[in-house]
Amino acid sequence: MNDMIICRCEDVTLGELISHIENGSQTVKSLKLQTRAGMGICQGRTCRVLVEQVMTYYADESNIISSSVGTNFPIRPIRLAELAQNGKGDP
Amino acid sequence: METYDAVVIGGGVIGTSIAYRLAETRHVLLVEKTDIGAQTSGACDKAIFLQSKKPGFPIKLAKASRQIYENLEEELETSIEFHKGGGMIVIEDEDHIEFMESFVKKQQKAGIDVTLLDSKEARSIQPSLAEYIVGATYSKEDAEVNPLKLSQAFAQAAKRRGVDIRTHTEVIDIDIQNGKVVGVKTTSGYIATELVVNAGGPFAGKIAEMAGVGLTIMPRRGVILISEKINPMIFGNILCSQYIAAKHQTDEENKKKPPYGIGLSLGQTKSGNLLIGGSREFKGFQKAINDEILAAIARHATRIAPAIKPIRIIRSMVGFRPYTGDGLPIIDKVEGVEGFVIAAGHEGDGIALAPITGKLVVSLVENRKEDQSLLKPLQFKRLKAV
Repeated sequence: MNDMIICRCEDVTLGELISHIENGSQTVKSLKLQTRAGMGICQGRTCRVLVEQVMTYYADESNIISSSVGTNFPIRPIRLAELAQNGKGDP
Repeated sequence: METYDAVVIGGGVIGTSIAYRLAETRHVLLVEKTDIGAQTSGACDKAIFLQSKKPGFPIKLAKASRQIYENLEEELETSIEFHKGGGMIVIEDEDHIEFMESFVKKQQKAGIDVTLLDSKEARSIQPSLAEYIVGATYSKEDAEVNPLKLSQAFAQAAKRRGVDIRTHTEVIDIDIQNGKVVGVKTTSGYIATELVVNAGGPFAGKIAEMAGVGLTIMPRRGVILISEKINPMIFGNILCSQYIAAKHQTDEENKKKPPYGIGLSLGQTKSGNLLIGGSREFKGFQKAINDEILAAIARHATRIAPAIKPIRIIRSMVGFRPYTGDGLPIIDKVEGVEGFVIAAGHEGDGIALAPITGKLVVSLVENRKEDQSLLKPLQFKRLKAV
């Protein structure tokens, strides 16, 4: 079961997440920084809930710290050419 | 009561590098208010540029740090995706030619292997660049690293040396008695120690205040765009001469300064994402950005490298670089507060300078003579004497 892929964009398995939790990771952000879970093209839209579930299931409840893994701009992937046309004027 | 030989405050690339080196002979505690490498060190690009540094002492310091990178993966026993991919500074504007020519001459004098290329030569190395560019400088010595992996690698290596790392723990006060550090109060209890290293990056001023020390380090906000994964199309790192001008010239000299302090910094990570920077602004710790900054960065990058136009951006990151005012960090003991060391203010050079910073802090606290020439220009008093 540890081979199960949780983050499909970055190929992060359940086993990897568990090993980082056992090593002291207390936040989803910490898991993200160490495994890249949620850093792919979907930006965690698919796996985020799963990663949170893994954290609550495998971590000691008293150790979990809720943190916001912010979804930054852009809200969905956008081509550079389109992004460049936003607003006007040339920097 | 818990006791440590040293407490390092801040778990970014700087703090983890320091904790790792201090642990050679000391029992060290690293205190981090969020996660390892989660703030400034997790919202930056990956370049280790030599040729972009100011000729003179900044080059000397950067070279000393770059030297440590040569064997760092072996030393830390893990990959940090260190790669000698070379680096280029694109010259877009005829007006910058003169400035860049003299810049290259000074860099060559300083022993940096850098050459001036014409437009065609530059595009043969970097086919994504626009035809209209005037030329570029190129150096094989520039390299890159994965900053996320760098912080984690230093932290893991530090742990193996016995360093205790306490994340999600904030320092609330620094206990000073008779002019000497005797301990720190944290959100997880009191720690007795005679040595505190302030590696708080943009938050170093707040930490210094707890020791009664006035330290001005301002957060300089930088925004970087991240693209989807694509096949290799950018080789090594690219800056534009506007970036150099923004970095080294005063506002008076750099009259054509673009909005948001934009200068190109473009590279591709090992996993295939493009990192496209960036802006330089003083906005306090304001994380919210408007989409006009993103658009301005995209316009600047696609003008210089039109081939990236169809690539999709998946997110942006906002980082706060610790700005001291003269482009150099402070690595020094504080007079009058025995046992309080500042190692902060690396601005945009934290990744490049992290390896040497750890070593310099050890030299400093051990009163070693050999690194004095590197430490003297980083003294705290140079900034206080205003």
